[in-house]
Amino acid sequence: MESTSIAIAPVFQLGPIGITNTVITTWAIMAIIWLFAWLVTRRLKIEPGPLQTAVEGIVTATENAVAEVAPKEAPRIMVFIGSFWVFLVIANLSGLIPGVHAPTRDLSATAALAFIVFLSTHWFGVRLQGWKSYLHHYLTPSPILLPFHIISEITRTVALAVRLFGNIMSLEMAALLILLVAGFLAPVPILMLHIVEALVQAYIFGMLALIYVAGGVQSQQLRESQKE
Amino acid sequence: MELSWSTFVLEIINFLVLVWILKRFLYKPVLEVIARRRADIDSTLADAKNAQEEADALKVKYEGRLAEWDNERKQARESLDQEIEQERARKQASLKTDLEKQKEKAQVSEAHRQAESQRKAEETALALGARFASRVLEQAAGADTESRLIDLVIEELTSLSDERIAGLRNNWATVPDAIIVTTAFPIDDNQKHKLEQVLATVTNMDLPIEFKQDQTLVAGISITFGAWVLGASIRDELKGFAELAND
Repeated sequence: MESTSIAIAPVFQLGPIGITNTVITTWAIMAIIWLFAWLVTRRLKIEPGPLQTAVEGIVTATENAVAEVAPKEAPRIMVFIGSFWVFLVIANLSGLIPGVHAPTRDLSATAALAFIVFLSTHWFGVRLQGWKSYLHHYLTPSPILLPFHIISEITRTVALAVRLFGNIMSLEMAALLILLVAGFLAPVPILMLHIVEALVQAYIFGMLALIYVAGGVQSQQLRESQKE
Repeated sequence: MELSWSTFVLEIINFLVLVWILKRFLYKPVLEVIARRRADIDSTLADAKNAQEEADALKVKYEGRLAEWDNERKQARESLDQEIEQERARKQASLKTDLEKQKEKAQVSEAHRQAESQRKAEETALALGARFASRVLEQAAGADTESRLIDLVIEELTSLSDERIAGLRNNWATVPDAIIVTTAFPIDDNQKHKLEQVLATVTNMDLPIEFKQDQTLVAGISITFGAWVLGASIRDELKGFAELAND
């Protein structure tokens, strides 16, 4: 039962790169998302059907959520944040499928996502404010706080990765242990909790990513408003 | 709980590819169709707003026109009322004039009818008087009456003024062969002689005189000198009396 263990072993080797279950599941999720998106958007109409209405509702809700946090930069970062929500909802829920492990139970995957958030925060900040202006906010309100800013950047990124990994991995482990101890139908409540937790964790990760990115792009605006 | 760097890198790549996929195949087309719909809605709203504004403008315009029509209708009604009042006054005046004319006409007609009635009554009275006088005179008249009438004629002819005689002579266009004297009874010689003298004096001619008798004269004399006739008989007087009644 290697697939149920905490350790993630490579399924096959692609040259020097070991392809793990996490990567294969991620590819499958990407394929499903791409196929769904292609099927839904190939015949979009001004007067939408039920499916198009649902998809437009999801997109509009995402756009509104992003706009509430970062009104000015919403068009730029909406796709990025929305991708987190879409991917994490599906990835977290994929663990409910028998024989499939959620990619987010792998610390390598959550660390990669957290690292992307870390890089994107600086990317959007520098892109919108410029190097000098963006890096200046690490010296405010006092240069003494620079080490604390750096520690904050690292710890929040680590916390982002570990929080998602810990929650999803623990849910899967709990379901597995109850299944081993109590029998076939006993893990059902835990699986229902898994659904709620998967949605909540996806929302939390995406919202934190949004807050971090918005904090990066709005630091310059905040300083300007304080000067005024 | 170990970190696989290959998985870490692949997951980064995978997520970036996923972002591209979602942007290319989901967000972009969906946002475009939403934007298109919003544009259509905005266009429809703008059209509706324009239509509303046009409708409001038309409403104001037609309300103004209705007010104008109402004023025009009131003015036309007032004008019509005035015209009706004037026409009514004119008709009343005309009717009053006609009535007065009719009244006058009726009065004239009544007066005429009364006069005609009176005239007819007078004619009837005169006719009755003439008939009565005719019957009385026909029975009472005789040779004596005729003799007095002849004397009366002789006296009248004798007393004619020179101007009157000259006027008579001028009216005699043609001179007859004889003077005809007609009586109802035989005339005596003395009166014949006087008549011859008087007629010779009046006519200033020496014409023969024919004496004739005509009992239709009842009593009296009729002298014929061409177209000129001098009558002094009961018949002629009764005839004149009857004609007087007809005048």
